[in-house]
Amino acid sequence: MRFSFFHLMPYPYLPDDFEENYTSSSLTFPNKLFDPKLGVQLYKRYLDELEYADHLGFDGIAVNEHHQSAYGLMPSPNIMAAALARRTEKARIMVLGNAIGIRGNPLRVAEEIAMLDLMSDGRVDSGFVRGIGWEYFGHSISPTRSRARFNEAHDLIIKAWTAEEMFQWVSPNYEYRYVNLWPRPLQQPHPPIYIPGAGSTETMRFCASHRYTYMSVYAPTRVVRMWFDGYRRAAAELGYVPDPEKIALSIPVYVGESDSRAHRDARPAVEWLFRKGLKIPGELASPPGYMSAGSLRGVLSAGMKPFSQLGYEELLEHGYAVVGGPDTVARRLREMYDDLGGYGQLIALFAIGPTTHEQILRSAELFATEVMPVLRPLA
Amino acid sequence: MPDDAPHEETLELAGGRVHLFRGGAGEPVLFLHAAGGAGEWNEFHGLLADAGFAVVAPDHPGFGKTDDFPDVEAIDDLVYHYLDVMDALGLRRPHVVGGSFGGWIAAELAVAAPDRIGSLVLLSAAGLRLPDHPVPDLFAMTPGQLVTTLFHNPPPPPPPPAQGAPPDFDAILAAYRDASALARFCWSPYLCNPKLERRLHRIKAPTLVVAPSDDRLIPIAHARRYASLIPSARFTEIADCGHAMYFECPAEFANITAAFLAEHSLADNALATSGLPNGVSR
Repeated sequence: MRFSFFHLMPYPYLPDDFEENYTSSSLTFPNKLFDPKLGVQLYKRYLDELEYADHLGFDGIAVNEHHQSAYGLMPSPNIMAAALARRTEKARIMVLGNAIGIRGNPLRVAEEIAMLDLMSDGRVDSGFVRGIGWEYFGHSISPTRSRARFNEAHDLIIKAWTAEEMFQWVSPNYEYRYVNLWPRPLQQPHPPIYIPGAGSTETMRFCASHRYTYMSVYAPTRVVRMWFDGYRRAAAELGYVPDPEKIALSIPVYVGESDSRAHRDARPAVEWLFRKGLKIPGELASPPGYMSAGSLRGVLSAGMKPFSQLGYEELLEHGYAVVGGPDTVARRLREMYDDLGGYGQLIALFAIGPTTHEQILRSAELFATEVMPVLRPLA
Repeated sequence: MPDDAPHEETLELAGGRVHLFRGGAGEPVLFLHAAGGAGEWNEFHGLLADAGFAVVAPDHPGFGKTDDFPDVEAIDDLVYHYLDVMDALGLRRPHVVGGSFGGWIAAELAVAAPDRIGSLVLLSAAGLRLPDHPVPDLFAMTPGQLVTTLFHNPPPPPPPPAQGAPPDFDAILAAYRDASALARFCWSPYLCNPKLERRLHRIKAPTLVVAPSDDRLIPIAHARRYASLIPSARFTEIADCGHAMYFECPAEFANITAAFLAEHSLADNALATSGLPNGVSR
């Protein structure tokens, strides 16, 4: 089992009347409510936490990309990865991922990941995501082109990393007359690829056919089980069994000294994440064309409640998050290992809402010293 | 059944099947539906047919029961698509009436093929980019916001589904498919072709531009701009009506459309009745 420390870099200082008077923390949430002075402190604190996770022995430290949002303050995950590359030693630097569906110039992603790979001495993992629905509004990219843009950008980036001769790229959404990547990445044939999936059958098949790591997003255990099974089935149809490490559970985790202290500290953060951080109207979350008919039918059939309607206890019970003292967290993740048919990587979201620096450091430390050794032999 | 009763047909084109309604007898009217209203023959169509016109109302690519036509990617493709439809239906020079999104297609069609349009009626057409008069983002609206935006007098909300009743997946998927087709053609640039304005001078057909008085989606400045740039266009406003137009005030919209079409009978127009030379229509 491999363990990563994933940071959302939230902006937790939402107004007191947020739930009544704001429809979303993304896209339309007024940026006058962002205080740059607090932003300076947050970036420093959050990067320190990621560096501490490297020091604690996490196998990976992870960042992601979101736009025009208080949910996460990383429009460019590669900038954060660059800061981490120079200040960490051992952990994989996981960019989970670049939103190549909305990038105007995906060749730039190939260039930046190659730079990061050199700067980190080959420690970069490269995730690719389509970008969330609201980001297609924010960047004026048609969601109806999302899948095609993602696939074309992926193919272009992989070829740019691996081709040994200059080439011309022509696809419906992109045209480059000269692709000749300088610098090239260190890892061969290219940095490992991670793809988050949220039930799309296209994504499962895509991941399985390239043997990429398939990672979950916020969902109850029973639904994540369907996703992981879908990925395993897609691999089986291709005639292989995926390595355990290619299946990654991504989930908010908080470890306290005891169950009661953990709940006291984590409850506000978990509630913040699901009621405020992820507050987004359906129209902005799933714009037309973003999902195929089959995927939409799958999402409807899964029958997931809106996040905002889930209470704290319900979130924990159904496996949206794991909170407790070290023994409880280890036991719960072990249970989920069985319930999910196994997973070989745990990508734990430690910083998801209003918490203190000390709480996050302690949670990560307890996880590294008391939970990891118990779970390590699992896969 | 009288031969002018509305009925449904399927038209086979190279790229797929087009579903259409046909009703009434008289001079042909090609009706191009708005973003909403695919797959429907409603009161407005019936009134127009009753007024003595042969109304043909196809569903756009990706809408209603028409196939996806994935190669129809943008407004210019829609123009060629409708030229194909007109050729396949033998519509040499019909009246063309379009509402909102369909009005945009109608205007583009008249710009691209001015000699193929007998007369043109634009019902609060989308298609222009007027930065001082922006069109609100209908893709970002909740269903409730959409209704208040579209109607002058919003209808009462539908009754909530019975407790425990399963959601109608097919209805949700059909609505998502229509919205996805709309997004394909007009996500960005949003509901417009920035080049259209400077091409409107090419339109030859007598044109009626109609605006509902209380249009909260497409500001009335758009209709006025169409009317000012299309040669010999006439502008009319319909009182106490929202952008839902022929859904909200079907009689008013049918009457004003039928009167204009009657006034510009294709029979009075030499070009309309003369056959095209062989091969031109293909």
